[in-house]
Amino acid sequence: MVPATYADVDVKQGHPGGEIPMRQPQFIRSNTFHWALMVAGVFAVFVIVLFGFIYWQIDDYLTARSDRVITLEVEGIAGLSPERRLEAMDERLKQDPRGVQLAAIFAADGHRITGNIESLPPDLRIDGPAQAANIVKTNGSGRQHQVVRTIARRMRNGDVLVLGRNVDEAREISHVVGEALALGLLPAFLLCLLAGAWLSVRAQKRVEEVNQRVQRIIAGDLRERLPHRNIDEPFSKLAGIVNGMLDEMETLIHALAGVGNDIAHDLRTPLTRARITLERGRTNATTLEQLQAVADKAIAGIDQSLTIITALLRLAEIENSRRSASFADVPLHDMLREVCDIYEPIAENKNITLQVGVTSRVTVRGDRDLLIEAVANLVDNAIKFTPEGGRVDIELLRGGGGETIVQVTDTGSGINEQEREAVLRRFYRSDKIRNTPGVGLGLNLVAAIVKLHGFRLAIHPGPGCRVEIICPDREGTKQQILPATRQTVS
Amino acid sequence: MALVFSKRMVPGIPGSGMADAPAVVENQLMAKVLLIEDDSETAEEITAELADRGFEVEWSANGIEGLDKARSSRPDAMIVDRLLPGMDGLTVIEALRKEQVRTPVLVLSALGAVDDRVRGLRMGGDDYLTKPFAVVELVARIEALLRRPVESRETLLRVGPLELDLIERTAKRGDRVIELLPREFRLLEYMMQRSDQLLTRAMLLEEVWNYKFVPATNLVDVHMGRLRHKVDGPGEAPMIHNVRGAGFILRSVS
Repeated sequence: MVPATYADVDVKQGHPGGEIPMRQPQFIRSNTFHWALMVAGVFAVFVIVLFGFIYWQIDDYLTARSDRVITLEVEGIAGLSPERRLEAMDERLKQDPRGVQLAAIFAADGHRITGNIESLPPDLRIDGPAQAANIVKTNGSGRQHQVVRTIARRMRNGDVLVLGRNVDEAREISHVVGEALALGLLPAFLLCLLAGAWLSVRAQKRVEEVNQRVQRIIAGDLRERLPHRNIDEPFSKLAGIVNGMLDEMETLIHALAGVGNDIAHDLRTPLTRARITLERGRTNATTLEQLQAVADKAIAGIDQSLTIITALLRLAEIENSRRSASFADVPLHDMLREVCDIYEPIAENKNITLQVGVTSRVTVRGDRDLLIEAVANLVDNAIKFTPEGGRVDIELLRGGGGETIVQVTDTGSGINEQEREAVLRRFYRSDKIRNTPGVGLGLNLVAAIVKLHGFRLAIHPGPGCRVEIICPDREGTKQQILPATRQTVS
Repeated sequence: MALVFSKRMVPGIPGSGMADAPAVVENQLMAKVLLIEDDSETAEEITAELADRGFEVEWSANGIEGLDKARSSRPDAMIVDRLLPGMDGLTVIEALRKEQVRTPVLVLSALGAVDDRVRGLRMGGDDYLTKPFAVVELVARIEALLRRPVESRETLLRVGPLELDLIERTAKRGDRVIELLPREFRLLEYMMQRSDQLLTRAMLLEEVWNYKFVPATNLVDVHMGRLRHKVDGPGEAPMIHNVRGAGFILRSVS
């Protein structure tokens, strides 16, 4: 079977032997169909119970009515004179085209005086309320056993008057009800099954369609998307969500491929240089000193490649790590002074004024080593890109919205609007600075560290670059405001 | 300084790779080093380099055997790889520490994660080196472990004509007073406690500045340049030597 559907995969796991014995059509095995079947079943049971209840109620009602009628009649007839009584009984039996009426008078010794009941039913209580009794009906055509509602009264002369009424009407009604049930329920049940099968087939088709597209995506066609109709329907919504994810992944994969190319290029350059050096050195070097110089140059090239690999691994390490449990309180003011202290001689060598301005003592929660690395990277960059005689400021500010800002400002050429996004790209090095040494991963590292801490990185364009690490306050952070102190160097 | 796989000198070529200083100080202690490393090629390189420097090296390729050797031959220092067949490197160290064996241990690992490093040190390692590393770096660290400064109450450090008063915070070379900034003082103190030892840039960054990463700019060289300028005055024999591609040495005798 060409591309396996998800349903198939499930089933085959259950049958490692391969083919499933007695293959049913797929829709019957589908979940949707099972649900439809279940709903139809529950519906049928419900309807049957409902009809049963209706039948029972009707039966009850009809019996009660018959009882009332015969009770009234027996009282009426019993009150008449014996002659009038016989007349009334004849009258009654004549006016009964459906043959539901029963009446008889039995003598005190039990033999029948008149009427269409063969004998006095033994279980009939005389002078009791109406009740069900087993009687034998006789008329011109023959005898017939029946269960009827009867009532008996003993009259003044000792005779027993028995009146009865056949309630087979109820049975007829039950027949009608049964027919109605069959007529209504069966089609409804079938309809349910059909709908279930249809839905199931439809769902299966869509799954199959999705499966085919997904297979194409797996095969490498990243532009493929799931079928998506603009209907407010769960399946379409789901497809929309998955398509959104696929869009994002496609972008990421392309970006990654770009990064891969950049990495290859940046690694190849120093390695190529090392190779050429070694090759030329092997042919041309005649003295030990020359050979050593060649080796040193080659090692430098290899070192640079390794530096790039290390930086990339470190970047991946930071990007993939979760907010660490080893986070501790880091006093930012002390940390900035420390970074300033380390970079002073470098700034001084370039005749750059490096100044740290701290207006308040602020402690943030984080990894001290990583935060130093981030700030050191920013300061390193600032000094690197600031021409001689310029200045670099490291400042700790309090932002308006309850944030602490570490700001590094320089008087270098700055980052223009177009480059602002690009500098955060891996290996991005502005054309202006192609000649400055570095691997172009510094800001990525800073961005990764900042993100790990839940801080933000802001880069402001314009002449003189201004980069900010914005640390939102945690609850319960204590800020001690210090009088502004300035520590100037150089 | 950057990471290097192997920068060991070519044996038989004296002073190769070290232009302005003789090779790392000969190891006069004839110290015995136990190397537990499963990769035979790396082990061979390390063994050869250490043997060149006058160390007696014993090699074992798996953790269990390594632990036995550590117990039986009582080495002066150990180099232990983290991922080993048989028994994990850290487990070996832990076992030894439980037996009150205090032999200094340098942990090697291909895992560079910061947390990992912390774990390595917490489990009883004395130093941690991430692969790939320069063999020079490894030797420098082993020597540093072997000659760890004794905890002394000495408040006056002396190396040749150099004097450092830890209480008064003053420095003198002979009769000449040297004015030092606090960070320069810290650097010189560290170097004087480890005179005649090669100190790599990474070691200095970690120990003096407490930096756990390699900054883009060559910070150590700039700081060292300033310190050297102050220590080695005009006309004086240089005491701070730059070992090319490796690090720095403060020599007591020139």
